[in-house]
Amino acid sequence: MARSVTPGAIAALLANPTPDSPLEIPEIVVQVVDLKPIGSSTTRFTFMASDGAMKIKAMLPTHLASEINSGKLQNLGLIRIIDYTCNAIPNQPEKALIVTKCEVVSPSLETEIKSEVKEERSQSDVKKEEYKSEVKKEESSILLMPKQEIVAKSAAQIVNEQRGNAAPAARLAMTKRIHPLVSLNPYQGNWTIKVRVTNKGNLRTYKNARGEGQVFNVELTDEDGTQIQATMFNEAAKKFYPKFELGKVYYISKGSLRIANKQFKTVQNDYEMTLNENAIVEEAEGEVSIPETKFNFVKIDQLGSYVNGRELVDVIGVVQNVSPTLSIRRKSNNETIPKRDITIADDSNKTVTVSLWNDLATNIGQELLDMVDTAPIVAIKSLKVGDFQGVSLSTLTKSTVLINPDLPEAKKLKSWYDSEGKGASMASVGSDIVSSSRTGLRSMYSDRVFLSQITNDPSLGQDKPVFFSISVYISLIKADQTMWYRACTTCNKKVTEAVGGGYWCEGCQKNDDQCSLRYIMVIKVSDPTGEAWLSVFNEQAEKIIGCTADELDRIKTEEGDEKYQLKLKEATWVPHLFRVSVSQTEYMNEKRQRITVRAQAPLDCSAESRYLLEEIAKMSIS
Amino acid sequence: MDTSTPAVFVNADVLKMYSGRRVRSVVQVMRSEGGTITGQSTDGHQLTIKGAQSVPLSHFIEVIGIADGNQSIRAEICTDFGENFDTQAYNGLCQLANGKYKNLFL
Repeated sequence: MARSVTPGAIAALLANPTPDSPLEIPEIVVQVVDLKPIGSSTTRFTFMASDGAMKIKAMLPTHLASEINSGKLQNLGLIRIIDYTCNAIPNQPEKALIVTKCEVVSPSLETEIKSEVKEERSQSDVKKEEYKSEVKKEESSILLMPKQEIVAKSAAQIVNEQRGNAAPAARLAMTKRIHPLVSLNPYQGNWTIKVRVTNKGNLRTYKNARGEGQVFNVELTDEDGTQIQATMFNEAAKKFYPKFELGKVYYISKGSLRIANKQFKTVQNDYEMTLNENAIVEEAEGEVSIPETKFNFVKIDQLGSYVNGRELVDVIGVVQNVSPTLSIRRKSNNETIPKRDITIADDSNKTVTVSLWNDLATNIGQELLDMVDTAPIVAIKSLKVGDFQGVSLSTLTKSTVLINPDLPEAKKLKSWYDSEGKGASMASVGSDIVSSSRTGLRSMYSDRVFLSQITNDPSLGQDKPVFFSISVYISLIKADQTMWYRACTTCNKKVTEAVGGGYWCEGCQKNDDQCSLRYIMVIKVSDPTGEAWLSVFNEQAEKIIGCTADELDRIKTEEGDEKYQLKLKEATWVPHLFRVSVSQTEYMNEKRQRITVRAQAPLDCSAESRYLLEEIAKMSIS
Repeated sequence: MDTSTPAVFVNADVLKMYSGRRVRSVVQVMRSEGGTITGQSTDGHQLTIKGAQSVPLSHFIEVIGIADGNQSIRAEICTDFGENFDTQAYNGLCQLANGKYKNLFL
């Protein structure tokens, strides 16, 4: 009874792929390795046929399925091949072995036979009934083979054999212990991680005091969802830039960790990783255990509450419009950057404009432009929400764009668009926000300060004006101040009285009989911490006083001074929310603080109460 | 202004601490039968208001009166606050007025 495989069996099988008759076939015994059913079938099995040196993908005949199901043949067992064919597999270089007839030689050998493992043994004709086997296998050759080398087995090899049946990648995972990203720290360097590249930066060149260099970074995510940023410089950057591909999974070891620089942090992790040329990066074959980019979509009509916040959003929508590429000049270094605007719509029946920058503008933007007639679905991750035209979305370097992604939300959008969306006329979500008070209540709660915080700091707004929101009561509007100026009805600039009558506008270079009065005044306001004088312009003053400057002038001249003063009194001790800018000006060699009202909103008691509750809660914590 | 017996801001949770004392609370009218109103307090529990005039359903009322047991108030003054009322803010007030900042109120 053969106790082992026929050396060179696989080669022999491949050499004669389609034997005409079973008689042609020499004695071929192979070991059945990696035996598994195809799908959920109980009659069809696939395995790797091994002769100790080579392996070939193989299929078992259905009639042998009963042997497997009864346990007569198990994984690591031996079979003698009586009839077979070797077929080419489409799109693959190897052939597959279809076993049409065979017989079980040994149900299971308990270890995989490997030729390196062989120790020189003389022919042993052991006719044992039991098929017990020890770790050190005795091998009997049926055919005379050249002398096998004695290889001393190390513990690693024995371990390897025991686990030898695993596919190569899995074996790798078992010999290397995978550490979760959350367990990494700078004091333990002996780790291996398995991560997917969820974001790949560009290879940038930089110049610093030490000269020029190259850098690029990647964002890595592991099975648990933990993320970490890895940076590579110079040689390592050049080495790994082509290696790392967005969306692929890699085993990484021998990187170094240090505390993350909060200024440049893009992911939530206290540490960041640096890989130098000694780092090891290996692609993981066929690994799907790490989730793909996870999206958290916000419907377009919900974007209003994210405006000007720090939180980044993900959106998905149907592309309705793609603009040509524009070149925007960066103020800081005069660099020109490409930009493209696309308009997307979703089933909240609203549209929004997304600005694509740099590579996204040139590459993805062009792709979208070419296919815009097909109404492609686009999913974008990590967008900044701005307030241009109410609501605007802008990409960052870490933003990712997927066109027609294979996501359930995409399918839902597609069917919505085909049925309703295509014909629907949708408004831009921004226009809702713009039409309601210019800045909305949201920004009245950002940078909220007390008056004393402004008045106690004379250095505020030295270079550039600083913006704040305040909640105050108007305490005084002086009746005898210059409340307004004469303005050109066309351009609102100041006009001067012309000699021959009428008014002359310098800006429009024309004379006009009519002019309008526009407010320009200072008012005194109070809050629990103090008082301040604010400069107010026409728009906000109209809301404070409750009528236009022309109307107030009419009241003053026609109805009398008392009525006029009453109007001002009525505006006093009314609470308001103001958005103000604070700047430093010089007046007669003295530095003065000037607070100007930029926007006004009425005090919403409910919102204000909630804000106060939050602030009180914060007080208890700190 | 009579400040001898200040009314404590309460919701259903806090009411039980002030049985027999003067309290004030805002509830949303759920049922109104005879002189009794069943209202929902700002923290979601039910309170019985005795001796109250009839108020339209789902309006909010402020009740000032004597706490009577764990779940009812004998009303002295009832004011209709209308349909719009921020219960979350009022609830926050009740919690602060009876907790950390009690000394500011009583």
